[in-house]
Amino acid sequence: MSRDVAVIPSVGDRWKRLWGEIVKNRWAYVFISPFYILFLVFGLFPVLFSIYLSFQQWNGFGPMELVGLKNFAYVVGEGGKVFWKSILNGVLLFFMYVPLMTFLSIVLAVVLNSKLVRFFQGYRTMIYAPRVTSMVAAGFTFRLMFEAQGGLFNLILAYLGLPEVPWLEHVWWARVALCVLVVWGWLGQNMVYMLAGLQTIPRELTEAALIDGASPVQALFRITIPLLRPVIIFAVILSTMGSFGLFPEVQTLTWGGRPMRATLTTLVYLFNVAFDDYRFGRASALAYVYFALIFVLSLVQVRYFGSEE
Amino acid sequence: MKRQIVSWFTLGVILVGLLAACARPTPETVEVEVPVEVTRVVAGTPETVVITATPEPAAPEPEKPSGKITIWGWTAAIRDTLEATDVFEDFKEAYPDVEVEIVYYSPDDVYTNLPLAITAGEGAPDICYVENSHVAEYVHMGGLLNVTEHLQPYLDNIVEYKLYDCEKDGKYYCVPWDGGPVVMYYRRDVFEAAGLPTDPDEVSETIATWDDYYEACRTIKEQTGSYCFAHNKANNWGRLYEMVLWQQGLGYYDPQTGDVSVDSPENVATLEKLGLFWGEDLVSDSLEWTDPWYEELGSLDQPIATLIEASWMDVFLKSWIAPGTAGKWGVAYMPTFEEDGVRASNDGGSVFVIPEQTQNPEAAWAFLEFAMLKNEEYVLKGLAISGFIPSLKSTYDDALFLSTDSFFGGQNTYQIYADVNGEIPRAGIYGPHYAMMNGAVSVAIQRYATGEATAEVALQAAADEIRANLE
Amino acid sequence: MPKLKLLGGQVVLHVVLLSVSLFMILPFIWMLSTSFKPQEEVFARPPIFVSPNMSLDGYRYVVEYGVLRALWNTFFVSFLATVGSLFFCSLGGYGFAKYRFPGRKVLFAFLLGTMVIPGAVTMVPTYIVMLKLHWVDTYWPLIVPGAANAFGIFFMRQYISTISDELIDAARIDGCSDFATFWRVILPICTPGLITLGLIFFMNSWNDYLGPLIYVKTPEKFTLPLLMTSLQGPPGYSAYREWMGVAVISTVPLLAIFLIFQRRFTEGITAGAVRG
Repeated sequence: MSRDVAVIPSVGDRWKRLWGEIVKNRWAYVFISPFYILFLVFGLFPVLFSIYLSFQQWNGFGPMELVGLKNFAYVVGEGGKVFWKSILNGVLLFFMYVPLMTFLSIVLAVVLNSKLVRFFQGYRTMIYAPRVTSMVAAGFTFRLMFEAQGGLFNLILAYLGLPEVPWLEHVWWARVALCVLVVWGWLGQNMVYMLAGLQTIPRELTEAALIDGASPVQALFRITIPLLRPVIIFAVILSTMGSFGLFPEVQTLTWGGRPMRATLTTLVYLFNVAFDDYRFGRASALAYVYFALIFVLSLVQVRYFGSEE
Repeated sequence: MKRQIVSWFTLGVILVGLLAACARPTPETVEVEVPVEVTRVVAGTPETVVITATPEPAAPEPEKPSGKITIWGWTAAIRDTLEATDVFEDFKEAYPDVEVEIVYYSPDDVYTNLPLAITAGEGAPDICYVENSHVAEYVHMGGLLNVTEHLQPYLDNIVEYKLYDCEKDGKYYCVPWDGGPVVMYYRRDVFEAAGLPTDPDEVSETIATWDDYYEACRTIKEQTGSYCFAHNKANNWGRLYEMVLWQQGLGYYDPQTGDVSVDSPENVATLEKLGLFWGEDLVSDSLEWTDPWYEELGSLDQPIATLIEASWMDVFLKSWIAPGTAGKWGVAYMPTFEEDGVRASNDGGSVFVIPEQTQNPEAAWAFLEFAMLKNEEYVLKGLAISGFIPSLKSTYDDALFLSTDSFFGGQNTYQIYADVNGEIPRAGIYGPHYAMMNGAVSVAIQRYATGEATAEVALQAAADEIRANLE
Repeated sequence: MPKLKLLGGQVVLHVVLLSVSLFMILPFIWMLSTSFKPQEEVFARPPIFVSPNMSLDGYRYVVEYGVLRALWNTFFVSFLATVGSLFFCSLGGYGFAKYRFPGRKVLFAFLLGTMVIPGAVTMVPTYIVMLKLHWVDTYWPLIVPGAANAFGIFFMRQYISTISDELIDAARIDGCSDFATFWRVILPICTPGLITLGLIFFMNSWNDYLGPLIYVKTPEKFTLPLLMTSLQGPPGYSAYREWMGVAVISTVPLLAIFLIFQRRFTEGITAGAVRG
């Protein structure tokens, strides 16, 4: 009688098996390779080259000049004032529109989701429509509407008996105007995210709460919003990157950051340093500082919102 | 009989001698003064003026350039002005083997595409039209053709200040076209209503300094309620400030040493002087090149009293900004900052450059020489058509500079432009970093004007930013 | 629930929804209305919605200026980018969804991780790469880099993973090669997902401003956003209605597509995320 000897695969066997798997699935590798190839050329290489560039001084034309940490010193020194102003603008803009927009998108999503309102599809369509518009077209339109003398918004204010506002001429009003444009453009998208998130919340939960005597508002705050947390975090993080990365909106609405750079976003500033000043080294260094900030900010947000269980 | 033969012979000799003396020698060159009539735009009713220019016969070249050249430029400068002077047809006759292609770009596009082409190493035109304010940046970036040798014979004839921006390490990289001599345009009707003199010479005398200007503005405001000039606060572009700095020989940087001088006491004082006008509400808040600004200039009942701007403003006023105000304007010298200062400044002006990438430098130079340097005809026509004041000193002798302009109440305006053009001092405004410096200082002006900071603080911040940027 | 059925509650909700919707629609109306107004009427008090001097002059000018060519350019680029991306993303999604290959998890996590990098960091060096490739002032930079993008692959992977394996096995038994399986079996089934994803890609490409701004230089190649920002009237004329004309022309096609495919837009974008 032969006893089965436990077969322990040797290292060589493991490798053989692995290789066999790879060969068997070789097409998978072929299919997914375009992503990695493109990433290598247009993602990884630029990222690494950017690090290299950030230590150089280069205008894209003549020779490159190795300047060590000078570009980074620039960021934290005098020259960085405009950069930090743009970061500050990003933060200000964030607080000015993100909470409001997120909350409003939740409310709208809840209302539309409850299907209590007739024509809800019509409303959803109308609220989402701005999302498909080019922000350049919207920016131009809003610029006309925000014109201090005779722009539509001021005419409406006048009609309502309210004082007219020097929208694009005044530092804070210009920021408000920018926020209005951004909310207009993105409320619909955020609402859709919330709507999707709501699909994962069982209806019975809110119904049970309401039957137990809770008001709809309480149900909203105590049940719905907490359960929407992942989606909210997702939307807020996107909005964070958005508030620093507003580009066409700023270029068309406020001529690239006016007045006095009050509406200058970091992306616009980076673009100017790179393509107006032709300072590629400095732009690379700035981009990295910017990236680091965004990364940390996102981490903080995930930690902060995620940990409140 | 012998006496008769001798006397006939003598008479014959004398007659022959007289004939020989009277006969004209065959000229080697034919110099003909050809009066050229050009239509000048004056408020819709074309006025004809006369240019006496001497067309140079195209000297037979040992080897004429050939091939194709591409010119980049704006519609206002190239299509509406240069083409209208017929220079392209004439050039074609003189150089039949050269084909000229023109590509029209907006100013923004030129300033984006030219450096891009230079940095990319391909795609640049053979000739590019660039403003003085921007050319220094490209000269220092590299990539432009050195034309010093070609320009040598003409250097003495070119107004000095035009070449400062084109020069690097003693070499020149451009061919100048028009200048931007600054004058004070004023409304005669407003001055009259305010009890001020309206004759240009008297105006220049009465408003000789900026302090005089300040007094005059107060008078105008009191007597007529009109604003003195337009000077926007929140979106100020800094052009007026630049003009006032320029006339004092100051600037964003010291032209001799290159040091940033944005926060110098003189610069601060200049800004504060302009601040006086804001302080007393003597100036309107219109922003240049916007509708309210056009309205003020063209208005008959609510006009702006003065406009300090360069001579190229002349044709704009006449043709599309304020055609309805013909006859109501006058041109005076701009006030000086201090007593006996210079009454000349610059705003604008343009040049042509040849990128090094060009495949056909001979043809490119041939065109620029033909149009801008050798023949006065075209730059003179450019003046008549669009107000582009030539940079060639010899052109100022032309009959055109004796003509009067009914839009300006029959005044001889060209002469003033020419005078001012010759007096423009060297200043540290334009230069390789003009755009960046203007950007930073504009913000400082805006902050000061809106009351956010004092002039000193605002300019200090701008100066720090610029210095950091230059490292 | 019963409380909400009260008419009063309904009215309040409608008022809120109407106000928001009106705010969303108003700029479109204004855009359209202004595109027909002569310069003087744009800032008229009270506001003019239907101009008594309505004219097509603005559109005529804009057509002369080249808007139709820009429209075609925009469509051309968006179409190519969309088709290209759909192909590569579905291919990649198929690879991740239906193949159990070594390293699958790591590679996929890596793919997701790349979505974190903001475009600003790669903006400059990518431009330099394009310079070296002589792709500046061409449409390639707008099509190639995004062809196989992480979001698309993620989305398609989710979608394809719901397809039953038996179908694939059946195709294999029938002798289909891997690629043929993809082409003949998977793609047709994925059509709804492809349409949804395609709409997103198309819309993003159509509205892209930064990309064309950096890479497209010759006016003949401009896309609509670039044309709008470069548009100038004759000196002294503020080209308000011309701007609005181009804005209308660039908005109408997408709006039309949106209205036809509404559901896909509003539900589709998150379908992938939610299902996962």
